[in-house]
Amino acid sequence: MNIRAQVSMVFHLDKCIGCHTCSIACKNIWTDRKGTEYMWWNNVETKPGTGYPTRWEDQKKYKGGFEKKNGKLSLKLQGRTGALGNIFYNPNLPSMDDYYEPWTYDYGHLFDAPEGDDQPTARAISLVTGKVMDTIESGPNWDDDLGGSPVYAENDINLDELSEEEREQLSEVERMTFFYLPRICNHCANPGCVAACPAGALYKRGEDGIVLLSQEKCRAWRMCISGCPYKKTYFNWSTGKSEKCILCYPRIESGQPPACFHSCVGRIRYLGVLLYDADQIEKAASAEDADLVEAQRAMIQDPFDPAVIAAAKANGIPDNMITSAQKSPVYKFVKEWKIALPLHAEFRTLPMLFYVPPMMPVLAKSKDGIYEVDQSGSDGLAPLLSALDKARVPIKFMARLFSAGNTAIIEEVYRKLITVRIHRRSAEVKDVSQAELEKAYVSGKTNPEEADAIFRLTALPTYEERFVVPDMSRELAVEATVLPLANKQETGFGFRKKPERRF
Amino acid sequence: MRTIKRSAVNNGQALEKAHLREHKKRAPAAGVKTSLLFWTMWLILPGIMILALAAFPSRAGAQDISEGEQLFTSKGCTACHTIGGGDLVGPDLAGVTTRTEKDWLSRWLKEPDKMLAEGDATATELFEKYNKVPMPNLGLTDSEVASLIAYFESLDSGGTTAPTSSAVTLPAGDADRGKAFFMGTTRFSKGGPACMACHSVAGIGALGGGNLGPDLTTSGYIVSETAFATFISAPITQTMSAVWKGTPLTEQEQADLYAFLSKASVAQREPSALTQIAMLSGGTAIVLIAFAQIWWRKRLAGVRRPMVERAHAKRGH
Ligand code: HEC
Ligand code: HEC
Repeated sequence: MNIRAQVSMVFHLDKCIGCHTCSIACKNIWTDRKGTEYMWWNNVETKPGTGYPTRWEDQKKYKGGFEKKNGKLSLKLQGRTGALGNIFYNPNLPSMDDYYEPWTYDYGHLFDAPEGDDQPTARAISLVTGKVMDTIESGPNWDDDLGGSPVYAENDINLDELSEEEREQLSEVERMTFFYLPRICNHCANPGCVAACPAGALYKRGEDGIVLLSQEKCRAWRMCISGCPYKKTYFNWSTGKSEKCILCYPRIESGQPPACFHSCVGRIRYLGVLLYDADQIEKAASAEDADLVEAQRAMIQDPFDPAVIAAAKANGIPDNMITSAQKSPVYKFVKEWKIALPLHAEFRTLPMLFYVPPMMPVLAKSKDGIYEVDQSGSDGLAPLLSALDKARVPIKFMARLFSAGNTAIIEEVYRKLITVRIHRRSAEVKDVSQAELEKAYVSGKTNPEEADAIFRLTALPTYEERFVVPDMSRELAVEATVLPLANKQETGFGFRKKPERRF
Repeated sequence: MRTIKRSAVNNGQALEKAHLREHKKRAPAAGVKTSLLFWTMWLILPGIMILALAAFPSRAGAQDISEGEQLFTSKGCTACHTIGGGDLVGPDLAGVTTRTEKDWLSRWLKEPDKMLAEGDATATELFEKYNKVPMPNLGLTDSEVASLIAYFESLDSGGTTAPTSSAVTLPAGDADRGKAFFMGTTRFSKGGPACMACHSVAGIGALGGGNLGPDLTTSGYIVSETAFATFISAPITQTMSAVWKGTPLTEQEQADLYAFLSKASVAQREPSALTQIAMLSGGTAIVLIAFAQIWWRKRLAGVRRPMVERAHAKRGH
């Protein structure tokens, strides 16, 4: 056993209202510099939809992540020889058009315009070329709320496996639906960006597993951009270095959650430490598609298990990290309750950000003036919820997103979530029969205590329960290399050497 | 006898005359208040100058003529010219001073290559006539040129008799062996460097040889056996003499080289090495680009725009 600590995350999609506050918080702190205008380390997508950059999930085009070749795990992008051959010309980069051309408006004109017959307007100005943009064709959340759009929703790659009929239903006005998918760097346990970088500029931090990109070592080969299947590394065209989400490590080191977590209006975000067995990484990443989620769950270890604690200590993981892991909300969602799932496990990077899938709005019919929930089906989740196979967004779609196509896993998650609702309804409204309740516990593979705990952490968590930021003992770590007294006032944020183009 | 119209206008003389006219106009006005002595000076000084000028050529003459005679052989003119012995590679130089103007002649001897490049009418005419063999620039100094012209003048006025140039005959040469010598695949017996190190010539492939020395395809020295043998056995130019003085070629080597080189020049002249290299690199670039197109044909060429366009096309927008 080779135990490592990872600061992990859970996004509870049922709570996301798509307000983009997280994106703005991130943008204001990190990507408001020249060359980063188009970057959204945190972005919120509408699903079904094509996301940012457009259709990023289409690895046939973008070549991100890993694949299994003859039973062995290899980068989809290229091997070592491929990296050498393509080093001066990376053929798998998204174009600016696939992200979008960033722009601002000529606000000054509103004030300076000479007096005329018409109101002055503020025209769009490209932040890259500085020229006026006549038509803005796309933006970072261009398909925001466009569920059912014949251009965007229909081109969601996760719909590929649906039948023609199922797809058509999705664009019927009555059925049309969508949900939000906020995305940041997954700080994967098997990161594609790290594997793809020829310069060794990317690394996974030992103490907390945050994946970082050294601005000093980056040589702008941009293989990380292709290698990351989530397209979460970006190239700064001004400094000539790539950049990515740093999980606000300066905030984490001072005990605060990352800005996107902190600012989240729906309080959908949870942060906590997971202990995992690094010896299982390869096995977990090269499991069969259907087993990927289970393998990743198996990789995550119980922080209360004495053997795990001993192994963690042997690896130099400090005690406070272990206690933090024991309080971790992420561990509960992912491992104990098994209701949080990795996004696109089939990319085989072992993402350490997990999603609680959203409950789809019920499907109801208005018949003869009576509004009636469509509850036919085997689950018997009446009277509140339509049966799973009648879900507005087909289960297959959710399985593509969150369980590498394994519908059994996602159905299990949904059953448990539904059971929690039935459990709460019985407690609050008290109109659920005991027999029905018992049936729900069995179907959801849960019990009243667990259902309560899930409810509490979902709906009523405190700040401290959502964010269990480990004490990083930064001062202690710093003391090992520099004298705090001699160097006080010299540390801080920012670069000691400004990242710059060298040529 | 050939009659050639000399088109070169003597600008220098014309200017001089104009200046003289100016002086004549101004002289009386200046002399109104001047003394007799001044007037005598004005008469005497030009007189002395005219005398000196008249004496100068005749004084230099004797010395120049013998020097010119020497230069004519030492500078290798005999490789291509006779005087009164008929045309060789270049024209018979008997009567050259009567059929050409002195200024043209002296410039020609100094820089025949430049004059040909500039398209001087007379030079071009001669060039066409003598099988498009250009006369090489032999690096003569101004005084050497003057000596040579003095020598030609004295010959044409019957003052000196022309030397009889002897035709050189080489043993039978083998063009293939010559090519091997040229390209360095066979070493010279005295160990001299391969000609290709400094020269290129038609018939040794597209990339040619070095370009320290001129391309030999059009060299006058490879037009006749005599010209080649005379030059190569004792080259008079700076670099060539330095290279070959210590390691002379044997007669057989000279013959083989001549067999090879003379064939190259007779053959239709190939495009210059420069155009060949340009074509070669252009071709390579096209091949590489084509290769890259195939190699990278699956590169990512945009996702969003095609997707949106396809969706619009599907709906007939
Ligand atoms: C490689 C052969 C070659 C050598 C060596 C050579 N010439 Fe020539 N010369 C020619 C050719 C050929 C022409 C005719 C013009 C032409 O084709 O460029 C010519 C033309 C001339 C002319 C003009 C003839 C006329 O009829 O107007 C003079 C004068 C002359 N050469 C002088 C000399 C002198 C002096 C030397 C030695 C210093 C010399 N040449 C060396 C090949 C040669
Ligand atoms: C080290 C370089 C070098 C080598 C080797 C060399 N040459 Fe030359 N050659 C020159 C240069 C430079 C010139 C131009 C005149 C000068 O500076 O000597 C020249 C001039 C000539 C010319 C006169 C061309 C003209 O039309 O003015 C001939 C003919 C010639 N070389 C033949 C040869 C032959 C044949 C060989 C091989 C046996 C050879 N050279 C080897 C450098 C070289």
